[in-house]
Amino acid sequence: MRTVARKVADWIGRLGEVWVEGQVAQLSRRGGAATVFLTLRDPAADMSVPVTCHRDVADRPGLELTEGARVIVRARPDYYVARGSFSLRATEIRAVGLGELLARIERIRQLLAAEGLFDPARKRPLPFAPAVVGVITGRDSAAERDVLVTARRRWPAVRFEMHNCAVQGPTAAASVIDGLRRLDADPAVQVIVVARGGGSVEDLLPFSDEGLVRAIAACRTPVVTAVGHETDTTLVDHVADVRAATPTDAAHRIVPEIGEQRGLVEGLRARARQVLTGRLDQQVRWLDSMRTRPVLASPDRLLHGREEDVLGLRTRARRTLVHRVEGAERDLEHARARVAALSPAATLERGYAVVQRTDGSLVRDPAALADAERLQVRVAGGRFPVRVERTATGKDENP
Amino acid sequence: MSAEQSTPEPTTTYEQAREELADVVRRLEAGGLTLEESLGLWERGEELAQLCQHWLDRARERLAAAAPADDAGRN
Repeated sequence: MRTVARKVADWIGRLGEVWVEGQVAQLSRRGGAATVFLTLRDPAADMSVPVTCHRDVADRPGLELTEGARVIVRARPDYYVARGSFSLRATEIRAVGLGELLARIERIRQLLAAEGLFDPARKRPLPFAPAVVGVITGRDSAAERDVLVTARRRWPAVRFEMHNCAVQGPTAAASVIDGLRRLDADPAVQVIVVARGGGSVEDLLPFSDEGLVRAIAACRTPVVTAVGHETDTTLVDHVADVRAATPTDAAHRIVPEIGEQRGLVEGLRARARQVLTGRLDQQVRWLDSMRTRPVLASPDRLLHGREEDVLGLRTRARRTLVHRVEGAERDLEHARARVAALSPAATLERGYAVVQRTDGSLVRDPAALADAERLQVRVAGGRFPVRVERTATGKDENP
Repeated sequence: MSAEQSTPEPTTTYEQAREELADVVRRLEAGGLTLEESLGLWERGEELAQLCQHWLDRARERLAAAAPADDAGRN
């Protein structure tokens, strides 16, 4: 066995020096020990490797060697024959600079943007009043409190499916991804909130992790992110369906406010009632206007008109009759006057006399008279008999 | 003359009654009718007006039943 071990050790020893980049997953320093042990993990893959270094290397001024720190390590692969374990022996450890980190994030952003992951058309609408909200946040964090308390106040019926996990450090991205997958798979969860409070750029780094961004893009449930302060932008903010400025803001976005909704409903009810009563009032007014029309309200006018007609006609008839009677009377009067004018009595009154023969015929011509003929004379006062007596001469005297 | 004392809901709708009432009034006002025709129309008009009133009263009842508290300050 030792032969094999030594050969392997030789072989590995010939591999030479490498620069390795990774994230510090574990850091172990014992008191005054000369050797520092740490675990270097790959941020994107589930792989890690033990690293050892002299404490001077770890204590180099300017190097903040902490768990979660991103570092570049200059190391030689080493095979410890006594235990058969592989490690990297680091001769230099440098922090990946902030500038370098941010530049990397920017490159990832451009890559993902070019893939269309940030496209507004991809953003899903949030449900109006979700029954169950998935929440990914640090346990007992201020962010958790903000989301829950605010959402409950606005919409008391809301329920939560919690996923508490690390929200900074080397395991954060993977933990959040786990939470996303679990909550997305839960059919009851209608919207997912990822929330954490403010922090340093390093603290917020997990939320610019490419894997996490892709996981959010792949979620079928709408995702709301509320990471850091208003001014912080992490990559998840670009891919989220809704980006909230703070955890409290997220609570405002995911549920409606019950008082406001009640007010809206009341308003709509009132408007509906108004429409109906308005219509009703309008119809009632119309009906009244119909009923007060004279043809309906005063039907006796029908009769009135006709009664007047009849009265008028009767009056006219009567008048006509009277007129005619009077006319007839006048005619009669005229006739009577004419008769009277024609009557001999008036002539007699004037002193004239009517002489008649015995047969009643009138005497007009004295030559026609025989001597001693009996005649009748009528004067105004009466009649008397006469006899014609001629004088000796026998000549008649003419008046 | 009134058709709806103890009978179920009249089959003429409000709109039908309303239309006919408007027509009756138009014809009465146009005139030129015999006495008999005028009286007949007038009687029909009264009947229709009662029908319309019945519908409107029912509508008010239904509104009041839906939210009695609201109605209190309205009429």
